[in-house]
Amino acid sequence: MLLSLMIFVPLLGMIVVLLLPRESEELIKRATLAFTLVPLVLAVVLFVSYDRSSAGTQYFVNVPWIDAFNINYHIGIDGLSVTLLLLTALLGPICVLASWRNIEKGLKAYMALFLLLETGMLGFFAALDLFLFFVFFELTLLPMYFLIGVWGGPRREYAAIKFFLYTLFGSVLMLVAMIAVYLNSNVINGVAEGVRTFDIPTLITLAGTTGHALADSTFQMWVFLGFFIGFAVKVPIFPFHTWLPDAHVEAPTAISVILAGVLLKMGTYGIVRINMAMFPEGLAIFTNGVGFWGNSLALLGFINIVYGSFCALAQTDFKKLVAYSSIGHMGFVILGLAAGNSAGINGAILQMFNHGVISAMLFLLVGVLYDRAHHREINGFGGIATKMPVYTGITTLAFMASLGLPGLSGFVGEALSLLGAFQEFELITILSTIGIVVGAAYFLWTLQRVFLGQLNPKYEDLPEINKREILTLVPLGILTIVLGIWPNFALDMFSESVTNLVNVLDAI
Amino acid sequence: MPLEIPDINWSLLMPQLVIVSTLLIVLVFDMFDAISKKTLGWMTIVGAGIALWSSIDLLQAGTDQTQFNEMFRIDSYSLFFNIIFLVSTILVALVSISYLGSGDKKQGPYYLLILLATLGMMLMAAGNELIIVFLGLELMSLSLYVLASYFRESPASSEAGMKYLLLGAFASAFFLYGIALVYGAAGTTNIPEIISKLSVGDQLSLLSESPLFLAGIFLLIVGFGFKVAIVPFHQWAPDVYEGAPTTIAAFISAGPKAAGFAAFLTIFVDALPKLPTQATGVIVLLAMLTMTVGNVIAIAQTNIKRMLAYSSIAHAGYVMIGLAAANPDGKSSAMLYLFIYCVMNIGAFGVVIMARTADGENLMISDYAGLGFRKPLLAMFMTLMLLSLAGFPPTAGFVGKLYVFKSAVEARHYWLVIFGAINTAISAFYYLRVVVTMYMREPEEELEFKPYPPTLVIGLVLAAIGILLIGILPSLLLDQAQSAVQSALL
Repeated sequence: MLLSLMIFVPLLGMIVVLLLPRESEELIKRATLAFTLVPLVLAVVLFVSYDRSSAGTQYFVNVPWIDAFNINYHIGIDGLSVTLLLLTALLGPICVLASWRNIEKGLKAYMALFLLLETGMLGFFAALDLFLFFVFFELTLLPMYFLIGVWGGPRREYAAIKFFLYTLFGSVLMLVAMIAVYLNSNVINGVAEGVRTFDIPTLITLAGTTGHALADSTFQMWVFLGFFIGFAVKVPIFPFHTWLPDAHVEAPTAISVILAGVLLKMGTYGIVRINMAMFPEGLAIFTNGVGFWGNSLALLGFINIVYGSFCALAQTDFKKLVAYSSIGHMGFVILGLAAGNSAGINGAILQMFNHGVISAMLFLLVGVLYDRAHHREINGFGGIATKMPVYTGITTLAFMASLGLPGLSGFVGEALSLLGAFQEFELITILSTIGIVVGAAYFLWTLQRVFLGQLNPKYEDLPEINKREILTLVPLGILTIVLGIWPNFALDMFSESVTNLVNVLDAI
Repeated sequence: MPLEIPDINWSLLMPQLVIVSTLLIVLVFDMFDAISKKTLGWMTIVGAGIALWSSIDLLQAGTDQTQFNEMFRIDSYSLFFNIIFLVSTILVALVSISYLGSGDKKQGPYYLLILLATLGMMLMAAGNELIIVFLGLELMSLSLYVLASYFRESPASSEAGMKYLLLGAFASAFFLYGIALVYGAAGTTNIPEIISKLSVGDQLSLLSESPLFLAGIFLLIVGFGFKVAIVPFHQWAPDVYEGAPTTIAAFISAGPKAAGFAAFLTIFVDALPKLPTQATGVIVLLAMLTMTVGNVIAIAQTNIKRMLAYSSIAHAGYVMIGLAAANPDGKSSAMLYLFIYCVMNIGAFGVVIMARTADGENLMISDYAGLGFRKPLLAMFMTLMLLSLAGFPPTAGFVGKLYVFKSAVEARHYWLVIFGAINTAISAFYYLRVVVTMYMREPEEELEFKPYPPTLVIGLVLAAIGILLIGILPSLLLDQAQSAVQSALL
C-alpha cells in the first residue's frame, strides 16, 4: 500500500496540476513540489523500516491485472530497489526546485510531464512483474522525450528524437525477449504444462530449475542479449552511447539531473534484476573469462571507462564534459557487475547510487553557471572563484567526489568495483585505472580553467549562488560526505540481496 | 420440386435488420427539406447504436448458429466483427456531422451509402459461404466507390473514386475467379466444408495439393490483398485516401479493412495449416513486405493523409502477422488488433479534420507546427492517437501489438516478429515527427482555426477514452476476443 501510494502520488499530482489554471504559476510550482515531497517522505520511511537482515522482497503487493496473460500488478522492494527508490524520490523535489525560475514557456505542461516521469521511474524500480516492469520502462521514455524536445536547447529536436529512437530500438528487442521468456515459462523437459507467467521472482526460480526451458543455456544467451541491448542503450554502454551527450547538452538542467541521476541507473538496475538474476547461464558466457566473449562484458566496462574519460578530457563544453564523465563512471558499474563477486556487485550498486548523487550535483552546478553566464564554454570563464566563493566550494566538493577522492563517496564505489573486478579480470582492471587518472586530469583542469587564474572582466558582477540553488545542492553534498565516511549506511541495505545473487552466480 | 424455404430465426438477424431499417428511414427522411440534414447523421448514429447494442446482446448470450442453409453464421466471431464495424460507423458518422455541416443539401445519400457499406461488411464477416462473402464485398465496395468521389466538384475526389473503382473491379474479378477455381476443385463454396475436405483424418487430402485449388487460393489472396491494401496490391490506397473526403478516408481505412480481414481470417486461419508450407511462406513474406514498405514510404510523406495511408498499409502488415501465426491466438490477436486499429485510425483522421481552417483543410505536416501550445486539446488528441499507432504503452496500440507478436512467437515465426519489432521502431520515427512538429517547431504563419465542432469532440473523446481504457485494462476486450475464437472452435 505504502509502495503503491508512493508510485501513484505523482500521477495524482499530474492530474491536479493539469486542472490548475495556467496563469497561477506559483501555485503550480508549489503543488508539484508538494507532490514530489510525498514520495520522498514515503521513500525515507521505507528506507528506514526496511528489514536489512532479510534478502527477500518486502512490502509486496500482488493483484491480478490482465488475466488473459496472467499478468499481475506485482510490486515489492529489496535492498537494491529501495536504495534506488530513495535516490529517485530525493532527486524529484530537487529537480522541481531547480526548475523554479528557468522554465519560460508551458510551465504547467512541464510540471505535469515531470510528475508523470517520476511515476514511471518509481514504478520501474518497484515492479516485480516483467510486463509491468516493461510498461514503466516505456512510461519514462515519453515524458523524457517531451521534456528534452520542448524545453531543450537549440538542437533539442534532434536530441529528443535520437534519444527516443535509440531507447525504442533497445526496448523492442527487449519486448521480443520478454515474449520468448513468457512463452517458455511453462515448458519443462520439452513439455508445456500449467500457466505461463511474467512474474519476475517466479521466473528467476524457474530459470534455476534443471530441465526447465528457461534454464537452457542457449536460450538464456539469446534472451540475455535481447534484454542486455535494451538496457545497454539506457546505461549507455559503448557503442550505444552517442545519444547521451546530445540529450544532456540540449536538456534543461533539471532534466539532465534526472537523466544522469536516475534514467541511466534504470539500465544497470535492469541488468542486475533481469540479466544477472534471471539468466546467470547467459551471463556466464560473457563473463567467464574464457576467450573474447568470456571477457566481453568486462571489456565493455573498460571501453566505457577509458573512452568516456578521454572524450571528457577533449570537451570544451562544460555540460558535455560532465556527460562524457557519466559514461566513464557508468563503466565502473559494468566492470563491477561483470566481476560477479560480492565486492564487485556491491561496489557496482554503490557506484550506481553515488553516481546518481554526484552527477546530479554536477549538472545542477553547470546549470547554476549557465543561468548566469548563458554559455557553457569552459575556456570562456576564468577566475570566477573570487566572485562566487560558495559556488566554487561546492563545485570543488562535487569534482573531488567524482574523481574519486578517498573520504568522499565516489571513491568507495569505484574502489570496491575495481577490487571485485581485479579478482576476475586482472589486465582489464589494471588498464581501467587509466580512467581514474584521466578523470582527475579533466576535473582538475576544468577547475583551473573556470575558477582559478585571472578573473575574466566580463564576469565582474557575477551574482553568487542563491539560497534556492544551495538548497538543491546541500542534501546531495551531505550524502557524498556521509557515504564516503560511512558507506555501510547504503551497503547494509543491499548486501544481503547481493549475497543471494552471488550464490546464484557461483552455482553456475 | 417445391421450393423449400428454410426456417429463419429473425431475432438472430437483428443487427443487420436494424441497419436495413435505418437505411430506409434515412432514405425517406431525406425527401423532406424541412428536416435538417444533421438529423440524418444522428439517425445513422442511433441506428448503428441499436445494432451495436443488439450485437453485444447476442454476443453475451453466446449465440452460435447458422441461418439460410448454413450460408450465414451468427457466432461470436461475426458478432465481434459487427462490433468493430458499428463502432467505426458511429465514430465516422459523429465526425461527419460536423465535417459536412448543414449547408450541403445532398447528405442523404452519404449516410445511406455508409449504412449500405456497413451492411456489406457485416455480410462479409458473417459469410459462411464464398458467395455471401463476395456479395458482401461488392455491396461494401460499390458504396465506397461512390463515397470516395462524394465531393463531385473536386477533381481529386473524383479521381480517387475512379481509381478506386477501376482497381477495386480488378480485385473483385480476381476474387470471383478464385472462387470459381476453388469451387471447381472442391465442389463446394461452403467454407467449413472446403476446409474439412483438405484433410482426411490426420492426413492431408489430395485436394490440398491440387493445382487448381491452389491457383484459386492464390487468386483469393490477391483479391483480399487489394481490399485490405497489402503490398504489392496497395498502390490505390494513398491516392484514394488523399483524394477522398477525409471522413471517408477514415471510414475506408477502418471498417472495410477489418471486413476484408474478417473474411480473410475465416478462410485462411483454418486452411493454412492444411495447405503446403509455401502458402504460409507467402503470407509471411507478404506480411514482412507490407510492414516494411508501408513504414519506409510513410517516412517520406509530407501530406498527413498520405502518411496515414501508408501507416494503415503497415498496420495491415501487423494484422497479417496474426494471420500467419494461423493458430487460435493468432486469430483473436488479429481481431483485437483490428478493433484497436479502427478506433485509433479514425481518431487520427478526426484530428486532421479538427485542424481545419477557414480556407480548407491543413494537410501538410508542416501546417501542424506550433499547435502544441496554441491548440493544446487538438495536439493532445493527435499525440495520443499517434502514440497508440506507434504501439506505445499504456495505449491500446501496445496491447494489440504485444498480442499479435506473442501469437506469432508461439507459432515459431521468430523472424517475422523481429521484423515486426524493428518496423515498430521505424514507424515511431514518422509518427513522432508529427508530434515534434506540433510541440517543437514554431509556426511559419498564424493559422485561424475553426472552432471545434461539438460532435467531433465527442467522437474524439470517445476514441481517446477507448484507447486509454484498453491500454490500461486490456482484459475488457481481450477476454471477448479470445472467447469469440474459442467458442468457434468448440
